[in-house]
Amino acid sequence: MSPSTTRDTAVKWTAYGAACLLLLFAHALTLSRLRVWGVAPFLPPLLPAVIASMEDRLEGVVFALAFGVLCDLALTAPLPCQYTLAFPLAALLASLLAKSVLQPGFLCSLAVSAAAFLTVDLIAAAALLSGGHAAVSAIALRAARELLASLPLLLVCHPLLSFLHRKFTL
Amino acid sequence: MRNFLEKYGLRLLIVTTLCAVLISVLSYLSATSGFLQNAVGVLTYPFRSAVTAVAGWVEDKQHYYKDYSDLLAENEALRERVAELERDARQAEADRAENALLRELLELRAQRRDLVFEAAAVIERENTNWTSALTLNRGTVHGVEKNDCVVSSEGYLVGVVSAVGYNWCTVLTVIDTDTELGARVFRTQEVAVAEGDLALMGEGRLKLSYLSADAQLLSGDVVTTSGLGGFYPGGLVIGTVEAVRTGDDGLARYAVLAPSAHLGELSEVFIVKEFDIVD
Repeated sequence: MSPSTTRDTAVKWTAYGAACLLLLFAHALTLSRLRVWGVAPFLPPLLPAVIASMEDRLEGVVFALAFGVLCDLALTAPLPCQYTLAFPLAALLASLLAKSVLQPGFLCSLAVSAAAFLTVDLIAAAALLSGGHAAVSAIALRAARELLASLPLLLVCHPLLSFLHRKFTL
Repeated sequence: MRNFLEKYGLRLLIVTTLCAVLISVLSYLSATSGFLQNAVGVLTYPFRSAVTAVAGWVEDKQHYYKDYSDLLAENEALRERVAELERDARQAEADRAENALLRELLELRAQRRDLVFEAAAVIERENTNWTSALTLNRGTVHGVEKNDCVVSSEGYLVGVVSAVGYNWCTVLTVIDTDTELGARVFRTQEVAVAEGDLALMGEGRLKLSYLSADAQLLSGDVVTTSGLGGFYPGGLVIGTVEAVRTGDDGLARYAVLAPSAHLGELSEVFIVKEFDIVD
């Protein structure tokens, strides 16, 4: 890889990282106390999935892994390594959907986001069921509500991330 | 996809597994949070504080315009409650004096309840939908340790410290699914286990499990920590009984508890760093 390409790649992924942090901060500032059907809109799973659907497969998975590690260090979850396991898998699924099923776009972002939430919630469900502190019906209901409450966040995330993708591919 | 997995799949799997195992091991084995988690906590501390301050300011403005008549009614109810509590306090003082005299006559050890508190502010609430947690602005530098209890300003149990960093700590509240506490029904002195449940967590409730078959609970019964085992101080109010239900198996009964601490409105809490209780 030539130095300019390496530099461009580094700049691109730094921009994606900064955009994710900015979106997370804005989300926490504006929607942290909002409750829809008893759940809060949750942003983190959307970001690596949407990015992975637009970018190179390997780079998307590596970014998702790093993002997952950061989320595990900063957030609480039923399993300590929940996002480290879920996000790379979600990125792989997102890449597969974007390359084989749907063209990258808003509809594709919706689909990959749903897949990302499914991945995260399956791991959370496994942790909760093994601990005996939740029933399958309660888990399914909470997961469905979280997904429906979180998907509207794509209205803000998708345009920003698409803009960055176009800027760095032209 | 197949080519990608053939070329990079194994390496990605190894790296992912290593990261996951490292995070899990550090989480379970460390009395304080690992270096990376601590660093992330310290770095995000000012952002969390800023976000909570802004959200709190907005909430205050919303509450400022609350209906005036609601406040009047609440004020009247509170006045009556204060008068009732003052009567109870006078009676309790007389009972305490009599108790001390009787203990002296019987040559029993004096009752003692020494708790060392550390005041802390809440800088973040519930950052996911699968846990119920608070982040406080106190950490190891202030003497906070994992498994320290946290109480509200009224003395009601808020939760237990689950992770602690240099100047921050995470508290799993009493309704979190990972919470399990030895509990005692104050009226009947029956011992049970107060634990979180996902369905009840959505309603802001927790359950009281392992009740005996002949347990007679009444709505409004106060449930406190039992203090058995010495892990947590006894006598901290967890909540009150709302209902008694039968489990899905149709055999075991459990009670639904409403936490006494207002978990969604906390801004300042107290961490119990040390305790010495003699009953």
